[in-house]
Amino acid sequence: MKVKFVALLLGAFVFLFPFYYMLIGSLQAEPDPSVSGAFPKPGNLTLHNYTEINKSIHLGRSLINSGIFTGGVILGTLVFGVLAGYALARLQFRGRGLVFNLMLLIQVVPFQLLTIPLYVLIVRSYGLADSYSGMILPFLINSTAVFVFRQYFLQLPAELFDAARIDGASELSILWRIAVPLVRPALLTGVLLTFIGPWNEFLWPFLITKQQDLQPLAVSLSNYLTTVSARAANPFGAVLAGACVLAAPAVTLFIIFQRRFISTNLSSGVKG
Amino acid sequence: MRRGPLTRVMGEHPVGTAFVTPYVVFLAAVFAYPLGFAVYMSFHDYFFAAPGAVVDRPFVGFENYVTVLTDPAVQRSFVNVVIFLVINVPLTVVLSLGLANALNAAIRWRTFFRVSYYVPYVTASVAVVGVWLFLFNSNGLVNSILGPLAPDPSWLVNSKLAMPTIAIYVTWKQLGFFILLYLAALQNVSKDLYEAAEMDGAGRWKSFLNVTVPGVRPATTLVVLVATVTGANLFTEPYLLTGGGGPDGASASPVLIMYQRGIEQGHPDVGAAIGVLLVIGVLLVALIERRFVGREED
Amino acid sequence: MKLQAGLLAVVLAGSLVACGDSGGGSGDADAAAKARGPITIWYSNNAEEVAWGKQMVAAWNAQHADQKITAQEIPTGKSSEEVIGAAITAGNAPCLIFNTSPASVSQFQKQGGLVPLDSFPDGKSYIEDRSGDVAQQYKSTDGKYYQLPWKSNPVMIFYNKKAFAKAGITTPALSTYDDFLATSRKVVAAKAAKVAIYPAPSNEFYQSWFDFYPLYAAETGGKQLIENGKSTFASDEGKKVAQFWRTMYQDKLASPEKYTGDAFVDGTSAMAVVGPWAIATYKGKVDWGVVPVPTSSGKPASEIHTFSDAKNVAMYSACKNRGTAWDVLKFATSKDQDGKFLAATGQMPLRKDVATTYADYFAKNPDYKVFADQASRTVEVPNVANSITIWQTFRDAYSKSVIFGQQDVGQALDEAAQKVDQLVKQS
Repeated sequence: MKVKFVALLLGAFVFLFPFYYMLIGSLQAEPDPSVSGAFPKPGNLTLHNYTEINKSIHLGRSLINSGIFTGGVILGTLVFGVLAGYALARLQFRGRGLVFNLMLLIQVVPFQLLTIPLYVLIVRSYGLADSYSGMILPFLINSTAVFVFRQYFLQLPAELFDAARIDGASELSILWRIAVPLVRPALLTGVLLTFIGPWNEFLWPFLITKQQDLQPLAVSLSNYLTTVSARAANPFGAVLAGACVLAAPAVTLFIIFQRRFISTNLSSGVKG
Repeated sequence: MRRGPLTRVMGEHPVGTAFVTPYVVFLAAVFAYPLGFAVYMSFHDYFFAAPGAVVDRPFVGFENYVTVLTDPAVQRSFVNVVIFLVINVPLTVVLSLGLANALNAAIRWRTFFRVSYYVPYVTASVAVVGVWLFLFNSNGLVNSILGPLAPDPSWLVNSKLAMPTIAIYVTWKQLGFFILLYLAALQNVSKDLYEAAEMDGAGRWKSFLNVTVPGVRPATTLVVLVATVTGANLFTEPYLLTGGGGPDGASASPVLIMYQRGIEQGHPDVGAAIGVLLVIGVLLVALIERRFVGREED
Repeated sequence: MKLQAGLLAVVLAGSLVACGDSGGGSGDADAAAKARGPITIWYSNNAEEVAWGKQMVAAWNAQHADQKITAQEIPTGKSSEEVIGAAITAGNAPCLIFNTSPASVSQFQKQGGLVPLDSFPDGKSYIEDRSGDVAQQYKSTDGKYYQLPWKSNPVMIFYNKKAFAKAGITTPALSTYDDFLATSRKVVAAKAAKVAIYPAPSNEFYQSWFDFYPLYAAETGGKQLIENGKSTFASDEGKKVAQFWRTMYQDKLASPEKYTGDAFVDGTSAMAVVGPWAIATYKGKVDWGVVPVPTSSGKPASEIHTFSDAKNVAMYSACKNRGTAWDVLKFATSKDQDGKFLAATGQMPLRKDVATTYADYFAKNPDYKVFADQASRTVEVPNVANSITIWQTFRDAYSKSVIFGQQDVGQALDEAAQKVDQLVKQS
């Protein structure tokens, strides 16, 4: 047990150190590339890098935009993705194989290949430039999440479903009453996975919205990083402060919800 | 979809069609057209033009594919991505299963550990790349710790080490997600099996091999497939970490080259051909992996 | 089967819609050239340029209530080509972009995305009267102007006076390659800076504009990378320049590693190759001096050519009210607005006789005067098809041989020249 603990501790250090360094660097008035720069020095600490960001970006507005963008995607994935994942795992119907293969194919296709045709389609055919819908649409249902949902629905014992069907329950109520509660950790995994994409996505929301009051945080920040930061008193610190601002909401949300991700006594219901 | 007469034709659970319809409509509306369009482009002398512009875009058969396959930069990028996968995928599977198993046990500071392993996954690459550049440059912290053992030229400008360094970076970055997948899967391994193994006198290592590993088999399939697919679509990391695939193309990925040719240089036809080849390649690899790693139980 | 068929139908419908509205828009150019009304423009998100842009838009809008400008920022650098390219294809590009890279013009032109400015009766004469001979470099291969040469940032060598003083140098000798190398060695040996100079070593197609190209322009007395449909860089001069940089990298006077931040500002390097836009960022941080780029024989400053690093204004074909757009373009590049631009950004308007036209400004800001002089001897990227592919091909060869030393410099340039000649021939 001791060995395991020490190994985990060491691993955690490797995983956290760059973030620690990011934080320290963002608080420095002068960049300090030496080894001792990894430790906070009282004389060299300042919040200046953050106030500069606050001056040039509407943080509140950007956060709201990020929230709408990300929230829309999560909602779409949870509603439609769970339905699709359940059907692909547990229901026999015509065309299932085709949909499954299509889902796999979509994941294999690099987004860069589709960017411009997709842009033309959404802007010209659907007329969704400068709107939240245009931003959300290509991400609306996350295929990897559908795949994950399917995988976990597959792991549930078949007897559970057979029993419910014999009792005459509809598929929708089986899904809602039985399957979903059992795979709740998987659902949260899906949410996390879905959250990351739109939260950190830069290019798409930028292409689709030129109006600054529609742009999410990742877009305003990378704008800031490419231009404004070079003028800052401490460019390296400004970049790191920008990184911290982008990471902070995601990490905070994760820490709040992490308790719900895995609750170990779930398996009792599954044992069959 | 109405029930009744259709039931027999549509399979045992016709309601399934209704369940997947929104998803299928989404795929058709957002992906099918651009994808079909990309395939079309790859067989034509194609470039993007303004609406209404009169341009000639003749059918050229496999010409774009020939261009792509004989281009040393493209060949190199495919080799690079194979190097990447060979390092990244096994490392990801072993580390994420091991860590998930350790984190699943009752251990002190469990919450802290879980959070720390997920943090890189939650953060945008744009944000962490700066720190990595700093850590791995020739005067960086990593090299000062290694002292005389530090490689010369340093990690990211060394044509042999650039790709492995990126592979390790990506493993580090994505590991949290895969740990999460395994943790969820571990909840479904029946405790009875562990008890039975213990009765048979199996040690911790034995029961890990005989109970845990087979128990999370479907998750392993998933991890291998997802890691392969995300790895094959590698773009952001060479774009940011090595300034566009340096040194000398040693860290260029196919998607990076596709981006350069297709979008920066205005040859979307050539870019599309690279994309189509990549998709075919990944599908083949994924099929082989499914054979070897394990068939699913349906 | 039903499902497959349905899917196919949806796909087809999608593609039909996408192609359907591609008619229209192209209408008669004459009517469009006279049309007036509100327009949209984009400018760069660089802080000083934004300040100028806002002022310009406000001044115009105050006088033209029925032809208002709406302005938006787009990022400089990497992703701007992508953004503009996508907007052209979708037909929602703005009327004017005050940040069009000359290297992209041939591509946008091929896409049918640009309005030839010659289509306005006074188009050609306005451009040539404003910029003088320099304008010729911005003509496209069909003899038309698809861009208005707007402003340049003639690239020179900045040096850090403090770092040089630390190495015991007060009047730096930097005019010949030998001098430049000797000075660089002195600075690095004295540990006044980690490296002598830090051009970005990464592989983006445009990075050669800030290492090879300025020195090449100087060495050849103003030759472009491609002239008369043939590459020129595999010449003796080109190889001399490449060999000079090779020595810099080989002797660790320059670094092959990508750098985060500004190496010149934080003292990592003692020199920088950059244009006058950067002066604003050095204020209060570096005590700098400036000299022309070096040549092998040490030509006098008055004969040195360099890379212009120009950004231009182009009109995009999606623009409906082209009459207004043309008026705005003339308004924004008038003597008065150019003066305001110079004062706000320190970048040189691409008009003839900048130094005398704005004599007052240069009297008050002597730092910028040398750039006004240099601005009269600048070389642009060649305006040819496949421009970006050509630069990427060159960059790949340069990176392999000069920066990483994995191939002989001369051989690499010869091979690249062959490929580039092929690329020039394709259209």
